[in-house]
Amino acid sequence: MDCSSPISVPSPKIRWVIFLTLALLALVVRLPQLGERPMHTDESINGYIIGQLLAGKEFHYDPQDRHGPALAAFTLPLVKLEGAKNFSELTESQLRVSTVLAGTATVLLFGAAVEMFGFVACVIAALLFAFAPLSVYYNRYFIHESLFVLATFGLIISGWQAMQRKSIWLAGLAGACAALMLACKETAPLHFFALALAALAVRFWSVRMRLRFNSGTVRTDNGLLPAHPKLLKMIMAALAIFLFITVLLFTWFGQNWQVFADLFHAVGNFTARAGGEGHEKPWWYYLKLLCDGQSGGIILILSLLGMVSVTSQVLGRPKLQPLAPRIFLVVYALAIFATYSAIPYKTPWLALNFWLPIALLAGIAIEWIWFVTTKCWVRSVVLILLLGLGYLMQQDTRLRVFIKPADEKNPYAYAHTIEDVLDLPKRIETVAQQNNLTQPRIAVIATDAWPLPWYLRKFSQVGFWQPEQDPGAADFYITTSDVSPPLAERLKSFRPDFYGVRPNVLLILWTPEIKRN
Amino acid sequence: MVRVGWSGCAALQFFMCKWISKIVAVVLFSATIAVAEDKIPLTTSLPEAVTTGTPVPFIVPKLDPELIEWPKFLVPAGTTNLALGKKVTSSVSDSDIITGTLDLITDGDKTGDDGSWIALPPGKQWVQIDLTKEADIYAINVWHYHSQKRVYRDVIVQISDDPTFSKGVATVYDNSVSGNDHPYIENRFGKLIDTKGAKGRYVRLFSNGNTSDKLNHYIEVEVFGKPAA
Repeated sequence: MDCSSPISVPSPKIRWVIFLTLALLALVVRLPQLGERPMHTDESINGYIIGQLLAGKEFHYDPQDRHGPALAAFTLPLVKLEGAKNFSELTESQLRVSTVLAGTATVLLFGAAVEMFGFVACVIAALLFAFAPLSVYYNRYFIHESLFVLATFGLIISGWQAMQRKSIWLAGLAGACAALMLACKETAPLHFFALALAALAVRFWSVRMRLRFNSGTVRTDNGLLPAHPKLLKMIMAALAIFLFITVLLFTWFGQNWQVFADLFHAVGNFTARAGGEGHEKPWWYYLKLLCDGQSGGIILILSLLGMVSVTSQVLGRPKLQPLAPRIFLVVYALAIFATYSAIPYKTPWLALNFWLPIALLAGIAIEWIWFVTTKCWVRSVVLILLLGLGYLMQQDTRLRVFIKPADEKNPYAYAHTIEDVLDLPKRIETVAQQNNLTQPRIAVIATDAWPLPWYLRKFSQVGFWQPEQDPGAADFYITTSDVSPPLAERLKSFRPDFYGVRPNVLLILWTPEIKRN
Repeated sequence: MVRVGWSGCAALQFFMCKWISKIVAVVLFSATIAVAEDKIPLTTSLPEAVTTGTPVPFIVPKLDPELIEWPKFLVPAGTTNLALGKKVTSSVSDSDIITGTLDLITDGDKTGDDGSWIALPPGKQWVQIDLTKEADIYAINVWHYHSQKRVYRDVIVQISDDPTFSKGVATVYDNSVSGNDHPYIENRFGKLIDTKGAKGRYVRLFSNGNTSDKLNHYIEVEVFGKPAA
């Protein structure tokens, strides 16, 4: 039996219904148990920033260690809508909703990419992004990556569409997305470079096509040729919007103009950080991470197959489907993967940046397999295998995201906060009650106290000191094992309890002896 | 009847005390030599360090400093690890053990690799080693988990001749709230406990979770002693 009739692309209305449904499913998958995983140090820092903003302070860009203001600007109105009034009232769920929404929006955005990559490829990619463990995990992580990936995808689609339609508005939107990327993370220039490289590759391919088919027998669908009179206006519009939003966000709506000097310093700091700073890993780290679980390796192979299918068409005669965006995708994927793999500094959440092209390339591969198999029984086998892949992916997501989200053997839980530390504030509360301390004074003496500012946010009298400093009298002390002699003397009348903060990182809670009546 | 005046009595006492002191000194000296000759430093094979970095010694009240070398500890000559290969039981049924099997605790493998340790469920749990006969126990060394810096809570070690530990129980180590010992950070040297020659056939070790998770792990337990005479 022959099943070779092509899949007809649904009308825009039906298409958006499909992608909206997928986005809603992505949202449903991302919401359960949102507050249960302990706050990673980076999440707690971002949460503290939101707490400062709720207290009426302005966002102050820190070139040493923190990232841009986009996440804070996106999250602040959301937590206000959720009813948060101050830092002590903030919850994990309230904060993480913002990145969940960014991930959901990314799934929806695949609907806008149908003209670029094709309907089947985009549906498959949306499914992979909606349910794969890596994307679900980091979309529930209150860090900048989810928003960054959303902005990157927005830049790719709006930039492409702007060139296709010669639209100044879409060019402006591309500029806004680029600004959002920069205001998320300082790694944005790496992506700008990879995207520019991909655009150049398409341009090069288009010129070759024109020469090969003698101007016009094959329509190059890249929109880059020939140079359009509106092009300069479009570039100017994109640049103007980019600068406007960048300045607006980094100055925190005009309140902090010192930020540009800080940004200048950030270049040096982040260049040094690229060297590793304790996060050095081999070049194949991301490859191993992407192969994790039962489904990771299969999806990665599918994406490689997608690259092969695009390459084979580049080398052969172009077919009907839009090939230029696919060439763009392959070059971008390879460039960004090579760049991140070459940089010694590696953290697992950066792999979310690869998941976007990987999902699309896997979608392209499945579309390719579908169309080269014309027999119904072969397609049935392919469908069964895809359902099997879906099942494996679901198993991985369940394990990594919901059953063991903070387990040190979970490759996504990097230097993650241990659940043990959640008992520390409870212990303080209990002992404070037993000692009739209504407002206990808590002195934290540690070189790196994160994520304690988050977990001690409900106590009104908490101070932080460095190990060589004397905190004076307090009801509770939290120290490392590296304490100064005067403090050691002070601690003689306290009882120590160890708490695990991260793998291999311990803190000691010193509680007063319980008064017995 | 011979009466001795005060001065005569004092002279006698002085004379006798001098001799008694000499005798006592000689006896003590001989005993010390005998004991010293009979005692040898306790040695055991130590696993390779898995955690990175050298432990930094710290002196903080009420905390046992992290060992940076194997402690010098003397035991009578002929002392061996009586626990090697002995049967181990626990507070939970075999089916409730999270990872591994009880025999791993006395198999001599202290590497700390996956497959060399056992994990018991959360909460206060114990493991018990049957030495098969009463023994004079001089030291116990326990490795809970040394691939990572962590602290096990409420570690208690008891020795008894009663397998149910309902009578004749000697508590040789206790760092719980009610005990006098201090918490310590796990490392490759394990935790060497001076049991002061306590007698017993069974050794029971308690713990109540740790700072990394709620589970109770054991890599190896060594019981150093000699069969009771």
